[in-house]
Amino acid sequence: MADSTEKNRKKQKRTKAKAVESTFLSKTRKPEKKGKRKGRDNDQRKRRGGGPRLPNVLRQELGLDAKRNSSSDSDSEGGEDVRDFYELDEEVAQEESGKNRRFDEVENYQYELPDDFEDEEVPSDEGEDDSDKSEGEDQRDKEDGERHLRMLQDITGIPKEAFDGEKKKREEVLLSQADVRSEIVTIHDLLAPLQGMPGYSSLRKRVLQQEKQPMTLQAPLPKSERDKVQRKVSDKFARKEITKWEGVVKRNREAPTLFFEQDQNLGYSTVGAIASGFEPRTEFEKQMAQLRQDPELVEAYKNDGAKMLELNKVSVKDVIDRQNRLAKMRSLLFRHEMKAKRIKKIKSKTYHKIKKKERQKAASAELEMNPEAAKQQAIKQEQKRAEERLTLKHKNSSKWAKRILKRGLDVQDDATRAAIAEQLQKHEELKRKMNSMNNNESSTDEESSDDDDEEEDESKRALKALNKAKEKTAKVLEEGDEAPKKGLFALPFMERGLKKRQEEAYEEARQALEDYDATLNQLQDEGEEGEEETQQNSSAVKMTGKRTFGPAKKPVAQEYNKRKRLDDFGKDSDSEEEDGEFDEPVPQIIEDKNDKTEGVQLGTALLDEEQVMAQHAIFRNLDDMEKAVGPKTSYEVAIFAGDSFRKVRSDSGHSNKATTSSVIHTSKPSHETKETDQSYETDSDTEMVEGFLTTNLITDQKPDYELPSQAELVRRVFAGDDVAAEFERDKLETLNEENPEPEKPALVPGWGQWTHVQKKKGLPDWMVREHEEKKRKRGEALKKRKDAKFDHVIISETINRKAEKLMATSLPFPFTSKEAYEGNMRMPIGPDFNPASALSALNRPEIIKKPGLIIQPIEYEEVDPDETHDQPKRIIQGAKPKQSSKEKSKKGKLSNKLVPKTLGKKVKST
Amino acid sequence: MKVKVISRSTEDFTRERSKDLQKVFRNYDPNLHTQEKAVEYTRALNAAKLEKIFAKPFIGAMDGHIDAVSCMAKNPNYLKAIFSGSMDGDIRLWDLATRKTVCQFPGHQGAVKGLTSSTNGELLVSCGTDCTVRLWKVPSLNFDSTVDTSKPSAIYTWKHAFRGVDHQWNSSIFATAGAQVDIWDHNRSEPINTFQWGNDSVISIRFNPGEPNLLATSSSDRGVVLYDLRTSSPFKKIIMQTKTNSICWNPMEPINFTAANEDCNCYTFDARKLDEAKVVHKDHVSAVMDVDYSPTGREFVTGSYDRTVRIFNYNGDHSREIYHTKRMQRVFCVRYSCDASYVISGSDDTNLRLWKSKASEQLGVLLPRERKKHEYHDALKARFKHLPEIRRIVKHRHLPKPVYKAAILRRTVTEAENRKEQRRQAHSAPGSSSRKPFRKRKIIKEES
Repeated sequence: MADSTEKNRKKQKRTKAKAVESTFLSKTRKPEKKGKRKGRDNDQRKRRGGGPRLPNVLRQELGLDAKRNSSSDSDSEGGEDVRDFYELDEEVAQEESGKNRRFDEVENYQYELPDDFEDEEVPSDEGEDDSDKSEGEDQRDKEDGERHLRMLQDITGIPKEAFDGEKKKREEVLLSQADVRSEIVTIHDLLAPLQGMPGYSSLRKRVLQQEKQPMTLQAPLPKSERDKVQRKVSDKFARKEITKWEGVVKRNREAPTLFFEQDQNLGYSTVGAIASGFEPRTEFEKQMAQLRQDPELVEAYKNDGAKMLELNKVSVKDVIDRQNRLAKMRSLLFRHEMKAKRIKKIKSKTYHKIKKKERQKAASAELEMNPEAAKQQAIKQEQKRAEERLTLKHKNSSKWAKRILKRGLDVQDDATRAAIAEQLQKHEELKRKMNSMNNNESSTDEESSDDDDEEEDESKRALKALNKAKEKTAKVLEEGDEAPKKGLFALPFMERGLKKRQEEAYEEARQALEDYDATLNQLQDEGEEGEEETQQNSSAVKMTGKRTFGPAKKPVAQEYNKRKRLDDFGKDSDSEEEDGEFDEPVPQIIEDKNDKTEGVQLGTALLDEEQVMAQHAIFRNLDDMEKAVGPKTSYEVAIFAGDSFRKVRSDSGHSNKATTSSVIHTSKPSHETKETDQSYETDSDTEMVEGFLTTNLITDQKPDYELPSQAELVRRVFAGDDVAAEFERDKLETLNEENPEPEKPALVPGWGQWTHVQKKKGLPDWMVREHEEKKRKRGEALKKRKDAKFDHVIISETINRKAEKLMATSLPFPFTSKEAYEGNMRMPIGPDFNPASALSALNRPEIIKKPGLIIQPIEYEEVDPDETHDQPKRIIQGAKPKQSSKEKSKKGKLSNKLVPKTLGKKVKST
Repeated sequence: MKVKVISRSTEDFTRERSKDLQKVFRNYDPNLHTQEKAVEYTRALNAAKLEKIFAKPFIGAMDGHIDAVSCMAKNPNYLKAIFSGSMDGDIRLWDLATRKTVCQFPGHQGAVKGLTSSTNGELLVSCGTDCTVRLWKVPSLNFDSTVDTSKPSAIYTWKHAFRGVDHQWNSSIFATAGAQVDIWDHNRSEPINTFQWGNDSVISIRFNPGEPNLLATSSSDRGVVLYDLRTSSPFKKIIMQTKTNSICWNPMEPINFTAANEDCNCYTFDARKLDEAKVVHKDHVSAVMDVDYSPTGREFVTGSYDRTVRIFNYNGDHSREIYHTKRMQRVFCVRYSCDASYVISGSDDTNLRLWKSKASEQLGVLLPRERKKHEYHDALKARFKHLPEIRRIVKHRHLPKPVYKAAILRRTVTEAENRKEQRRQAHSAPGSSSRKPFRKRKIIKEES
């Protein structure tokens, strides 16, 4: 029994395996084959014992012949031959058939299950059960088929083989029955009703043609061939399937960064959530839980627990109110604190000045209100003032100030000068009250006169300035002394000292007046003859580049004055300030003149002799004037107060000091040292004015000005410097640096000198030769240089050894051009050179993954080949919600069956 | 004069906590940073040196088998688990975190030759020389599991000894290699399909995880065969000069697979075009026994008979990394962990070894600043990697003496061959002899 079932199973398997091949069989052959198998089973044993088997090829030949000869219902013998094509793998092995006794007698070469194996395993195996069951059904089916066949045989009288194997295909059975029973339905019968329809004749013709030719079927291909065909088809199919991935793969490869990330569900996030899922496990926990959930306890808590808290007695509204109040207070406090902090941090001087002023204002207001306080304040102030006057603490009397003055102010830096000026300013401020007593009246008329002389010529202005200075000095002289009758100055010793000083000042002023007169006369004389020259000069200067200083001068001076006035606006108008203001235009002019001459000097190449002479003449005049005045004259201060420091510098430091002492008497007894700091101010101011001038120049073009040609302009611009020669020199230098000239052979001192041999012979031959050789080599090297042929080019051939390690020897892989590579390398990627927002993109690694995250293999998605690559993120692995255990089990069940991939995915995503 | 007061919002300048960092303001004007390239170069150099200093890839060995480890399988659904089978028929499940055996699966009579796990990680399939395929239920690593691992859930006995097994992705089908290729279902005691192309036995088998119906095998007739389960037939075969020991598909590029060859090289193929290898990965000095891709698809790990484990880039012709210890013997199997950060190797000395995939990677939680710093260093290294000094430092590896000498020997041999070939070319008539590129040279023929 076991044997037969085994055989049956084999048979079934065989039919299953043939299912694939069956596509190559014609339908008509099918039943025939099945019938044959049945027959073969019957006589298998007999065949095994038979004679030697033919080789395959021969059998094939025979089979083909047999098949051609045989009709559709040929006898079983012919069918036997044909079958071998289909059953190639079922052939009895040579060793099994015992052919020629060449093989050892072994029962079975292949590993086979033991016979009793099945019986053991059957009950545990579902599959086996199934197959058994189906076998039983098969058996029943078979019996049914037998009966049916018998019936057919009875009816038709044809052997039953003809009908075997047709049970499954109902239609075919019907057809064959019809064929066999009575050939009622032929193709002609089918065609008959179509008569008269279009295309009938052609159809009929084809049918007739087919009937004439005998029907033959192609022999099925050998198995190897069939497999080959199958593989080819399969290859085509698989290739198509694989190729669809190309887009995805390409996109992933080109993506700068792949993200294997997942929004991981980290599970419970809050303590409450965790607690809610808590289940007591141990004994202790269970007891605790039982206690906690005890209904009695819960009830008790509900009843009493609420009353246990003391705060519960306070009404909600009260609590809220209190909270609000506290919050308000806190916020106010905080705000106040923050404000104080902020104010404390402010460094702006202006702000503090304003603040201070406000404070003072408040203080003064208080003073007004409170006479007692005012009195106190006045006394305090007075005391301070007296102290200042006594100690002269701020009058450059300190060690520091003295040292600085000794070294000369002009060598100091700006800050020091500013400090000195500030000190003096303070001094002035402290003494101000007295000054304000004898304030000047001349400010208004001076201003108007300032306005007047704006139109005047420079020379005239100089004259006028001198006149003015004279007048002023005279006025000062006339004014005499109005000694204070009150305060400290009223003290007898002070009075005496004051008087003495005033006398000195008076003396000096008088002297100055005389000097004024003298120079005025001189200037007037020279001015008359020099006027033409200056005019000529000015016209000549117009031709040079810098000559245009002239026309813009006046407005600038004006502006300058105005500005000065504006600056002074806030201050009390002191006479000394007025003085300064009055004095300034004149030195301005002189300065300008000097500038002009300088400018002219730059353009000397263009100027003819005459002009130079004229220039010199006027310059000399001014120089003379300066020299004639001498360092100690007070009018120098009056005139040159606004002059630049350079001019003062021309005098010695000592002279500076001298002026300091002398000036006191000229202007007013009150402002002795003012001139020094004033000169600072004016110094910087004039510079600014110069800057202004140059800008103004361009707009202030005169309409009759002729534009010089471009060449002319270029010539003028580069008139001073010889560019070509300079370049040549540069080139020579580079050449010498890169290919240094060989050292001249020289004798080492002491060597060979004793005998005077070398002195007589000169240098040894080899030295000379070596030197020659070196020279020659250098010449060659120079000739080989890249820039040897270009006169106007220097191509450096030095190699920077230190930069060499930053250079790549060859173009690195992903780059295709040098430019691209260099462009990429030029941009730094570090946090020191890039803002934080750009940093992460620059430093992003190629793959971003999270440790501990399982990366799933790729899943297919459509890729648009034309899509742009600007999408920022290329996420391979999307978010996947965490599976609950239920879903997992469901999935497991599903995956036990053969689920198509898509379905599996769906399950996963739910 | 108008004074411009610098206005700054306090929000920008106040720290929320005292341990927060003060905001640093920088002027990014490139004119102020003229030396940036030199600065970054120096940083890159330092980064390269630091990488060397911190390169400590070996995490630990897992001791327990009493015979050579022949095969391994990772659990696709559980990161910490790895299965290993040994030549004496012992199968173990390891917990990588503790590096301890979780459980054993006793039963195989001969060597276990193939191990694989279903995609959900609940079923383990093992096969071996005792002609049986055994299915095991896998206990979860939580201790409350009640799975009995002393008995397999099913044993299927078959006609021939098995050499390898692999599981299809997301289905209940697995394939075994032996005298032929058999396709099995979990619930069937007999294969549902069988393929054979040629008469030699199949050595290794691997499903394509991206395109699960594709299957690649290598056989002892030096062939590599591709199968398609949809048309249920093989469709491509090549014969190479030497046999291929193992095959692995790229999980991110279902087009490509890599074959670990007996001739010390690995060959990456395009499945559509087997007449030439896309990349030849050279560096091993003895037969490559196993290959496994990183789940990112950007690198793969190989284990070799020369007692070393190497990591290659998917398109790199030389290895990025080499791992070896004094005690590690012939490596028979390697696996890349499912999160692409560890490598596990099983070798003749009965041990499994756990390595970091990036030797100098810092394990554990990284704070954002730390991470950014590492990223910057990596970017710098990548940027300046072609400069000689940095390249030298990054590439340098200490090798075991035998490997070093064997590499020199191999180089000498190949150079001599090349020289000879060049001379032959030079002395033959132009066009009469053409030399195949190395990518094609090892492929003898393509069958279809």
